[in-house]
Amino acid sequence: MTPVSRVKEFKLPDLGEGLTEGEILKWLVNVGDTVALNQPIVEVETAKAAVEIPAKWAGQVVTIFHSEGDTVEVGAPMIAIDTDPGAGPLPESAPAPSAASLAAVEVAPAEGAVEPGLIGGPAPGGRTAVLVGYGPRSTTAKRRPRATGPSAAQPSAPQPAVAQPSAVAVQTRPAPAPVEEPVEPEPVAARPAATGVLAKPPVRKLAKDLGVDLTQLVGTGPQGSISRDDVQAAAAELVEAASGKRSSAAPATAEPAARPAGEREWRVAVKGVRKLTAENMVASAFTAPHVSEFYTVDVTRSLRALDRLRAMPDWQDVRVSPLLLVAKAVLVALRRYPMVNSSWAGDEIVVKDYVNLGIAAATERGLIVPNIKDAGELTLRELADAMTALVQTAKAGRTAPADMAGGTFTITNVGVFGVDTGTPILPPGEAAILALGSIREQPWVHRGRVRVRQVTTLGISFDHRIIDGELGSRFLHDVGAFLADPEAALLAWG
Amino acid sequence: METLTIGKALNTGLRRALEDDPKVLIMGEDVGKLGGVFRITDGLQKDFGEDRVIDTPLAESGIIGTAIGLALRGYRPVCEIQFDGFVYPAYDQIVSQVAKFHYRSQGKVRLPIVIRIPFGGGIGAVEHHSESPEAYFAHTAGLKVVSCASPNDAYWMIQQSIASDDPIIFLEPKRRYWEKGQVDVDGAPEPLHSSRVIRPGSHATVAAYGPMVRTALDAATAVAEDGRELEVIDLRSLSPLDLDPVFESVRRTGRLVVVHEAPSNVGLGAEIAARVTEQCFYSLEAPVLRVTGFNVPYPAARAEEEYLPDLDRVLDAVDRSMGW
Repeated sequence: MTPVSRVKEFKLPDLGEGLTEGEILKWLVNVGDTVALNQPIVEVETAKAAVEIPAKWAGQVVTIFHSEGDTVEVGAPMIAIDTDPGAGPLPESAPAPSAASLAAVEVAPAEGAVEPGLIGGPAPGGRTAVLVGYGPRSTTAKRRPRATGPSAAQPSAPQPAVAQPSAVAVQTRPAPAPVEEPVEPEPVAARPAATGVLAKPPVRKLAKDLGVDLTQLVGTGPQGSISRDDVQAAAAELVEAASGKRSSAAPATAEPAARPAGEREWRVAVKGVRKLTAENMVASAFTAPHVSEFYTVDVTRSLRALDRLRAMPDWQDVRVSPLLLVAKAVLVALRRYPMVNSSWAGDEIVVKDYVNLGIAAATERGLIVPNIKDAGELTLRELADAMTALVQTAKAGRTAPADMAGGTFTITNVGVFGVDTGTPILPPGEAAILALGSIREQPWVHRGRVRVRQVTTLGISFDHRIIDGELGSRFLHDVGAFLADPEAALLAWG
Repeated sequence: METLTIGKALNTGLRRALEDDPKVLIMGEDVGKLGGVFRITDGLQKDFGEDRVIDTPLAESGIIGTAIGLALRGYRPVCEIQFDGFVYPAYDQIVSQVAKFHYRSQGKVRLPIVIRIPFGGGIGAVEHHSESPEAYFAHTAGLKVVSCASPNDAYWMIQQSIASDDPIIFLEPKRRYWEKGQVDVDGAPEPLHSSRVIRPGSHATVAAYGPMVRTALDAATAVAEDGRELEVIDLRSLSPLDLDPVFESVRRTGRLVVVHEAPSNVGLGAEIAARVTEQCFYSLEAPVLRVTGFNVPYPAARAEEEYLPDLDRVLDAVDRSMGW
């Protein structure tokens, strides 16, 4: 204990609410007197009343700063008390603080500054002095140290050593439990089943905008909630499915990520594109009575025609395939049998003058069926270009939904997988679909002799409500006849 | 442009109102000779006289009742309620008379009364000196309620309130009286009943008023180190609320934290949360969260720092919102 701290100065307090000064009526003690704690030492008159002020400390009176009759400002020193008089005489410099304090009181404060102890002036603990209370603390824009990194929402990076709770944390009160929320977060288990899915409002909005049914999704977000990514993935699948995807061509390559060892069965959730495909196929298969027919045909002349086509100067850079001639054959045949290019509408049949020719394309995202709008209006060259563009766009995954809507007749080239042909199921709203089998060399009776020829099998499925066996057979036969002798067919029907 | 504390800006604004309109009166406990316990009316009685800056008896009901009579006779009384907790004796006069006169007179009589209340805690005071009674008044049709949070707003909003023909409860953030800021004494003020984005940000919106605006700004500053940008909105007007800037902000950030000292139960934050949920439902990435005082009586001074929302509680709420 240093001698200086032995001597304490008592300053005139604000004795009422908002008083600024008081007049000393009478000192009740003299310098050298020993005072007890709470012993009255001075009588002061304020604007409101005359009051006796008790001693704040026990000890010996060292200094009395004002005479009776003086008016003293609140906050000015009144009396100095040696709180430990038994410890020996005070050093020469002991009463020093009083002089400094007095000077501070007498000198007018700098403009804007307020004296210590007065309202608006500095107070202990970094506070501002006020009339009632300890005064407001000055604020700092500094966050308390956190043990768990910036937040639960952010990946916690290694904290710099400074930020670790060390000596600082000792002084800081521990982070209080999150008492913020008057309501506990809704427990998931208590949620009534009727509430359905968990998804934040913006995700619901997104789903609504994209036409995604949230109840069909499995959420990957927190607490099994559906995230924005879940919706967008489902929407992408929907777009594919809306193009008329058929179950026969949908690759089932998805394997569950974590499959328990020894498990001999595994399950794939029926959702998204698979679910929509299934619904479409069931709806089509059980509403449109399907008839399938097959026609095996020698397409050697078509392949030769393609070779000649490729040799033509205009066609140097054009990608041509047997599918191009099949498409042309279909378009020519549809012009002869427009009823094949139609759809069933309950109490009427809608026959279309235009052909939006769907071409099934296998892509990484699965099978999609974009169509070539008004394909019947196109020249062969334009048709070739359109098909090339369509396939390239599909393989790049950039097919627009509009390109997949409104198809009127579809060709599916299952031959690329090496099979003879198939019995495709109609895309909803179309009356017929043609399957092209693989083209391969086979023994074939040609001009009375068995020769090796390029042969394929065409398969067609049609809606028997619209198309009778006769019409379907004639149509299929025309397509086959075109492929057997394209030049003659074009001359006759083109 | 001058640099003033909020207290001095209020004092200057009151002085200017007294100069501009001889019908403006100031009345309250110790507002005259003493200049108010917070010195907000310091020097005004000396310069404008005892007839215009009036020391009243310690009777809040009488202060407001007298003000009603003066207003009916064409004066524009500016009443100081010394501390928030002292307003309750005047509550009947305020909600039964002040709020209803315009309606009762079929629009013929308006009461241009301003009731200044230093409100909120943070000064370590005793009981009745740290309350936040804004919801009582915002709930009452016929009253307007505003709160300033900066010296510039203090200077202008007090003058706008005095100029208003409607009764206005003017809430002053008493613990911020000594915070300094720029005051544009010659500029044009914002409309009185408008809220304002005072710090732009993109990750979450924090709406506050009065003393909590500083807390929200501090929170935004502190969290900027984490790379997060909080948008801070000073609501300024509590009745009527101007929530269009809040809606616009929430549609961008998807998250809202409302901060006030008053308890959460049936408070301003609840009203704001309801309206934001209604207007911005599809934009909300998380529920509107409130950071408020607790639903208990205002605690003793030594415990008030546990009660009052601070920077860390605001940021905890922001974390909860971001983690939703």
